[in-house]
Amino acid sequence: MATDVMIQANGLTKRFGVVRALDKVNFEVKRGEVVGFLGPNGAGKSTTMRILTCFISPSTGSATVNSHDVFDNPLEVRRSIGYLPQRAPLYTDMTVWEYLKFAAEIRGLDESTFKQRLKKVVEVCGLAQSLGKDISTLSHGYRQRVGLGQALIHDPPILILDEPTSDLDPNEKAEVLRYIKEIGKDRTILLSTHNLAEVEEACARAIIVSKGRVVADGPLDEIRGKTGRVRYVVTIDEQRAEAGNKPPAAAQALEALQRLGGVKTARELPTDEKAHRFELSSASDADVRAEIYRLAVAKGWTLLELRRDAQSLDAVFRDLTRGDEKLDRGANWSAADADEDEADDSSSEDEDDDESDEDDEEEVVDAKSKGKS
Amino acid sequence: MSPMLIIAKREFRSYFDSPIAYIVICLSFFALGLMFFFLNGGFWQLDRASISRLFESTPMGLSFLVVPVVTMRLLAEERRSGTLEMLITLPVKDSDVVIGKYLGALGLVLVLVLSTLAYPLVMFKFPWNLGPLDGGPVASGYLGMVLFCCAAVAVGLLISALTESQAVAFFITFFVLGALWLFGDLASKAGGTLAILLNYVSFQSRLNNFWRGLIDSRDVVFFLSVTVLSLMVAFRALERRKWA
Repeated sequence: MATDVMIQANGLTKRFGVVRALDKVNFEVKRGEVVGFLGPNGAGKSTTMRILTCFISPSTGSATVNSHDVFDNPLEVRRSIGYLPQRAPLYTDMTVWEYLKFAAEIRGLDESTFKQRLKKVVEVCGLAQSLGKDISTLSHGYRQRVGLGQALIHDPPILILDEPTSDLDPNEKAEVLRYIKEIGKDRTILLSTHNLAEVEEACARAIIVSKGRVVADGPLDEIRGKTGRVRYVVTIDEQRAEAGNKPPAAAQALEALQRLGGVKTARELPTDEKAHRFELSSASDADVRAEIYRLAVAKGWTLLELRRDAQSLDAVFRDLTRGDEKLDRGANWSAADADEDEADDSSSEDEDDDESDEDDEEEVVDAKSKGKS
Repeated sequence: MSPMLIIAKREFRSYFDSPIAYIVICLSFFALGLMFFFLNGGFWQLDRASISRLFESTPMGLSFLVVPVVTMRLLAEERRSGTLEMLITLPVKDSDVVIGKYLGALGLVLVLVLSTLAYPLVMFKFPWNLGPLDGGPVASGYLGMVLFCCAAVAVGLLISALTESQAVAFFITFFVLGALWLFGDLASKAGGTLAILLNYVSFQSRLNNFWRGLIDSRDVVFFLSVTVLSLMVAFRALERRKWA
């Protein structure tokens, strides 16, 4: 057991002045697991990773990486990990080759091992064309690749990647995720992100943190089921109807759907088609599809789509990470957060990007779940 | 090679990968030439086979410009751009980072200082021989200059470790080193205990002995102490990130 646990965090707490960035965080990552570390901006993802890489120390609590303690044995810890910090900060005055060489030298790789590893790293990170280029001339996506390259150069058993896909274009994202899946077969990977689609893509297990606490930890399916709700998507034609009936107005249809037994919430979704699209939710033990079908028949609506899926990870994520603001963060801080849902993200630390992405991500998740059903 | 030396090598090379090393060296030589031959009548008016002028003007230029420019980015820039996180999470000790960066910057300053050896060599050995140059003061003068550089670069590194802004690091280093230099002039105007105190901490007063060919162990210890103390405080400043 002891040898199988690669990363272990025991009651990690980190205070920055009055702000408690981490609050008794506990988790374990076993050998060969690819774990998504999820949370809104400022939830403590980066702080946790910095503690695990011995860049900063926890205020209380302890952690071991590859059975080395982060306090007692920081050099051993760092030897066992490859770390990609947020936004891949690199020395821009060096070329890619020089940078990788530098990282390899510091890690004590000899010349022939370096050559072997370099070949492999270049292949998997797609750096062959850019080896001789100055890092300052590279796009962000390529810098991210170089960052990933330096994290892999010594073939570490553990990889800690802080938002490895932020600022990448969709192709690059897919590429990096594909790659993470590939190397994840024989390595332990802890990967932070606030993009849920990525977690679904690459990880089997997720740890969700919010406001410095772990709010969910387990296999993705388990987390999805956590809120105990099922989601339905219903699409009704807005121009045609059956058997001489009039097509319904959006408000009418919504009201009728809301009144069905078992439906807890209903809301209209945007759509490109000439149709009304609604999202309903019900308790997980009920199945309201038959009811919906009967309603459509009775009213003569043209039902274009009716599907049921477990609640999207995205919705679970929001359920879990919402409403924790007031805990231990200093009352004056959360009082200012009138718009608690998303605006609170910007309040803390250094993670300031990507709020606008939220909507896009939602779309992605929707699209994905549509594809599945 | 130890991580410390690899960091030093990288630091030293990065000066030459950017224009900074070339600009600093070229302009320093230009300025040194002006000061040596023209300032206050210049070398020729003195009519003596001595390069003491070189020792008087070089550390001043180093204090006011070269050292602040060379050291301002050492840790401040790393911290601002986040590369510090990348560097420190490699298997290196904090002390490796501090001393490695120190050695890299000191290397550049010493390249500059040692290339001023061209002055005594060209003027008094080959191709010209302008007179019998007394070797003793030259040797002790250079020893003093090297010690001075060790201390000044350490002070610059310390200040760079305390801020995230290169500009702030530059100005504070400029001010501190400038003050430590000018205390010597100030001491001659002040009197009594103040003068003793100012002379005690002034780099200029400390270097005076070396120019005259006098190697006083107190001066050597002074410069080395400043160096070690500054590096230790810089180390602590770097470690502070863990707890703050």
